[in-house]
Amino acid sequence: MPDQAAHLQDMVRRTALGDRAAFAALYAQTSAKLFGVALRISVRREIAEEVLQESFVAVWRRAGDYDPAQGAVLAWLVTIVRRCAIDQLRHQQSRPDGHRADEAAANALTARDRSDSGAELRALQRCLDELEPRPRQAVLLAYLYGLTREELAARLTVPVGTVKSWIRRSLDRLQRCLDP
Amino acid sequence: MRYDDPELRRRLAAEYVIGTMPSRARRRFERLTAADRALADLVADWETRFAPLDDTTLPAAPPVRVWRAVEQRIAGSVAPPAAAGWLASLRFWRAATGFAVAAGAALAVYVALAPAPPVPLVVAILSDHSGTPEWIALTGPRRGEVSIAALGPLADSTGHAFQLWAVAGGPPRALGLLAPKRGHPLLIAAAALPPSGATLAVSREPPGGSPTGKPTGPVLYQGKVLIPVR
Repeated sequence: MPDQAAHLQDMVRRTALGDRAAFAALYAQTSAKLFGVALRISVRREIAEEVLQESFVAVWRRAGDYDPAQGAVLAWLVTIVRRCAIDQLRHQQSRPDGHRADEAAANALTARDRSDSGAELRALQRCLDELEPRPRQAVLLAYLYGLTREELAARLTVPVGTVKSWIRRSLDRLQRCLDP
Repeated sequence: MRYDDPELRRRLAAEYVIGTMPSRARRRFERLTAADRALADLVADWETRFAPLDDTTLPAAPPVRVWRAVEQRIAGSVAPPAAAGWLASLRFWRAATGFAVAAGAALAVYVALAPAPPVPLVVAILSDHSGTPEWIALTGPRRGEVSIAALGPLADSTGHAFQLWAVAGGPPRALGLLAPKRGHPLLIAAAALPPSGATLAVSREPPGGSPTGKPTGPVLYQGKVLIPVR
């Protein structure tokens, strides 16, 4: 099919009408990407599987809510998976084994060699680069791996209050940088 | 907390999106966004700003049991729009008759007694080389049958045939010719399917199908049989 994005939109539209074949195709086409995101945040496979399951049950029930004007299907699905994964983490209260968040990977996102990334990612990276290194790390660890303020404080060995103000200032600066 | 300060609203939306809002505040904020469209838009803006980071995450194939579980949970349910339509018409019908209660009760009994239509199960999804699914095999419409249909119009479908093959050990076995249009499924006996885990493949063949009984053109689509069917 020539246009992948239009194809996915069609699958969601048909899912909203109760078309199970379209829903199965939507799953077949997007589940690997979404499972990657779920694994990144949940870490434990069985929890990531549960998150993916919950997310697709939600997609089946709420496919009619999807509004093409608000963005691509894949972005909408990622949002559902992220919300579900973070809700799951907060529900668990604590992670017994801590989060093996990959700081190296998070830092690599702001590395210099970025010839392969798209324009939106480059813009975001440029703005992230303008932050101080440790506040930037706090924002990235939170978004990518779902670390709480407390987990961030422990990880970065600073008081929770410091994490809070780092994040607040970083988000303000990101907003100014991204929508000048 | 005051939720009408624009600065605060933006900040809360951002903290919600990156996930650093504590659990209770998170739930409260979700209730607020459900009622406050402008606040939901602020959340969507932040989701869009951070979304490129998710493109940097490597995909990972989930185990088949996840799809099984999803399928089981939605079995027998109808998607909300269809359900709403049904309910609306039932209400209309009840209101339009003078025997609202009796008629409603009679209908309820009828609905309860009518056998549930069998839910089609996904037997296989056949994708092209880029992973785009183009054909789907579902159980039914009758017991013991499997139907294979195109998910949408195919880009290049004229002048040749699409032939379906079962590939399980030995040489490929021809299962039939597929119609490259939605709504024109190929029906085959479930007994003709290869076992669960085997491959279904579609090759491009001259009109009328392979003259040799073996695939002669390239394999364009393939997928595994996901469940045993009888």
